[in-house]
Amino acid sequence: MRPDRAPSDAELLAAVAEGDSDAFGALYDQHAPWLLVRLRRRTADSDAADQVAQETFLVVWRDAGRFRGQGAVGAWIWGIAIRRLVDLQRGRVAQERLAGLLGRRRVSDVASAEEQALVRLEHREVIRALNRLSPELQAVLQATVLDGLSTREAAVLLGIPPGTVKTRAMRARAQLRQDLA
Amino acid sequence: MTTPASTVQARDLTMTFGRTRALDGVSFELVPGVTGLLGPNGAGKTTLLRVLATVSAPDAGSVLTLGLDPRRTDQRLDLRGRLGYMPQEPGFHAHFTAFEFVDYVAILKELHQRRARHEEVRRVLELVGLDAVRRKKIKALSGGMRRRVALAQALLGDPDLLILDEPTAGLDPEQRLRFRELVGQLGEGRTVLLSTHQTEDVVALCQQVMMLHLGKLRFTGTPLELAGLAQGHVWHSHKRDPGALGAWRTGTGQHRNIGNPPAGADLLEPTLEDGYLLLLGGDQFEEVAA
Amino acid sequence: MGGVDAAGAWHADGEVLGAYSDGRLDAAGRWSVEAHLTSCAACRLQARALVDPARLRRLRAALIEAVDVPRAGVVERLLVRLGVADHTVRVLAATPALRGSWLLAVATTLAFAVLAAWVSRGADATMWLLCVAPLLPLAGIAVAYGPGIDPTYEIGLAAPLGSFRLLLLRAATVLGTSTLLAAAASLMLPRLGWGAAGWLLPSLGLTACSLALATTIEPLRAFGITAGAWVVAVAVTVAPPPPSSVLFSAAGQVAFATLALLAAVVMMVRRGRFEADRGFDTTPRFAARRLR
Repeated sequence: MRPDRAPSDAELLAAVAEGDSDAFGALYDQHAPWLLVRLRRRTADSDAADQVAQETFLVVWRDAGRFRGQGAVGAWIWGIAIRRLVDLQRGRVAQERLAGLLGRRRVSDVASAEEQALVRLEHREVIRALNRLSPELQAVLQATVLDGLSTREAAVLLGIPPGTVKTRAMRARAQLRQDLA
Repeated sequence: MTTPASTVQARDLTMTFGRTRALDGVSFELVPGVTGLLGPNGAGKTTLLRVLATVSAPDAGSVLTLGLDPRRTDQRLDLRGRLGYMPQEPGFHAHFTAFEFVDYVAILKELHQRRARHEEVRRVLELVGLDAVRRKKIKALSGGMRRRVALAQALLGDPDLLILDEPTAGLDPEQRLRFRELVGQLGEGRTVLLSTHQTEDVVALCQQVMMLHLGKLRFTGTPLELAGLAQGHVWHSHKRDPGALGAWRTGTGQHRNIGNPPAGADLLEPTLEDGYLLLLGGDQFEEVAA
Repeated sequence: MGGVDAAGAWHADGEVLGAYSDGRLDAAGRWSVEAHLTSCAACRLQARALVDPARLRRLRAALIEAVDVPRAGVVERLLVRLGVADHTVRVLAATPALRGSWLLAVATTLAFAVLAAWVSRGADATMWLLCVAPLLPLAGIAVAYGPGIDPTYEIGLAAPLGSFRLLLLRAATVLGTSTLLAAAASLMLPRLGWGAAGWLLPSLGLTACSLALATTIEPLRAFGITAGAWVVAVAVTVAPPPPSSVLFSAAGQVAFATLALLAAVVMMVRRGRFEADRGFDTTPRFAARRLR
């Protein structure tokens, strides 16, 4: 790390994997604020958000070496956080479980095509089409597309049966396709 | 030379291992500030520091440290709470992280309140500049970093007396510089005694210097006074002067001689090292003569 | 919403982020902000203004504490759960004898004793275990404390924590561990019965005895003498056939229980003496164990 320029997220993460406490502090300062803001949009319980943020950074500390260097570090961190939130919702706080979960299913750190499209919402039709979806459909799309959760995880987060998640996701996609056609 | 401010008073310390007299009637006083303990290997420096750190008891003689008598159990325990000791070869639990190790020593120092103890551990690790690597395992740290971990544990609890055994051994020049900066700061208002065989450390750091050789105290005073001993005993010559106790060829091609100069010699301003070598050389000379 | 920077890239401004944070954006706005935040460092820094600084500081401190403090092992967590003070547990965890090599040696010894029992299958089946088990804690404690064994021995001597307390803590750890292992071994003997637990009281008695002795002489010597005495006692009292020893009879067991109690009293009375010697000892220079 050269001192004359702010290190990139990936460099910070590499240093964290080496056990560098300063880099960890810097990573926290970079990412904790937006994480807390974004968590506010997923849960109204600020204690839960605090807990999720703390556990997320603990996982980041422990698993920094597992980051593959693809995609944004922010996306990787969010992938950890949203699953912590799902776990909290499930009432399963055991960290070991989480570690197992992370081990089995790698958090996708490549932004999906849909995400990429969303970054540049310049097309008025897309904006209009998205906003026309019912809140329920928006929530399902948000959990599965933006947060990258599986059907089962999305079901836990939204408090609806997995079957409902599936049908709503299909309806949302169909409606979007129709509107954009 | 009793000063009311003296924090350590040692009287006639004597210690024998088998037939070796490690300490032979050593008496001195320490005042706040940094004192350097000079001497060649085997001079008895470590033995003296261990006695002051209450690790071992002298065979004879007495020490009064910070007004406490280590021969009395209660006062000894009090004293241990107020001194920091960095052994020459500190042992480490290699599987510990730097934080864990210092935390462990903090427990031995009876800092029991968990939160406060961890705060203190972070404070001392930051002081020695190991903040960033505190969660690394000690076995993954470089030699210089390990020395600093050892120094950090000695700083726990902000002790009034710091005893450092060869703290600069094995440090590279840059680490040495950082170390001097740190110890210089620590010496403000605190009594620091460090042993070394590097005269540069003493010149750079110490307000007082003691020299120990073969268990006897050969010199106590300021670094300037030690250098002053060699006044009129250092001279230049083109060839090595056979009358010198010691001489070496310097970078300029001239020879620097220490000893009793011949008449009309080209005398030089002595350094602390000259004074030290003269004392050492004098001893060796006496031994040969005896 | 948002704005476009010099390079033509879209950025969320403070106003948009504020609206997002308060939930005042529609779905499209929300999503674009979220997708953007994960990849844009500049906008992430803007988010700082939306979070209470005290909350960020509090979380940061808690996080640093959680990361600094080593993850406790199962046994450590269990001990804390049982109400043992956290600092005591840390000292116990640093017991040199608890390293894998010692545990392996104990397990191997016990395994051989059990194996011997299965091979002989006779009336003497339990004798090996009974004779060997009491020696294990002695050997363990001998390698749990002292110069050349404990890497921090030298630093420990200059610290106020009492050395006898340290020795007792370590002894308790070793005794506990070896007792558990020996108990497990007893359960694997071919014939179960109360006789198979005959090692327990001798083990306790010998450990207490050696600790009491350590207040007078060098700990290592104390363990050696006690172990030697046990071996002699076993050799003298074992009467074949069938092998049995008065040591494991009811009277022997009572004797060992009494011995343990007496030794405990001696320990308590003489502990000050140990502190005085050890803390301010006159042993020659400590040979530091170097790192591998």
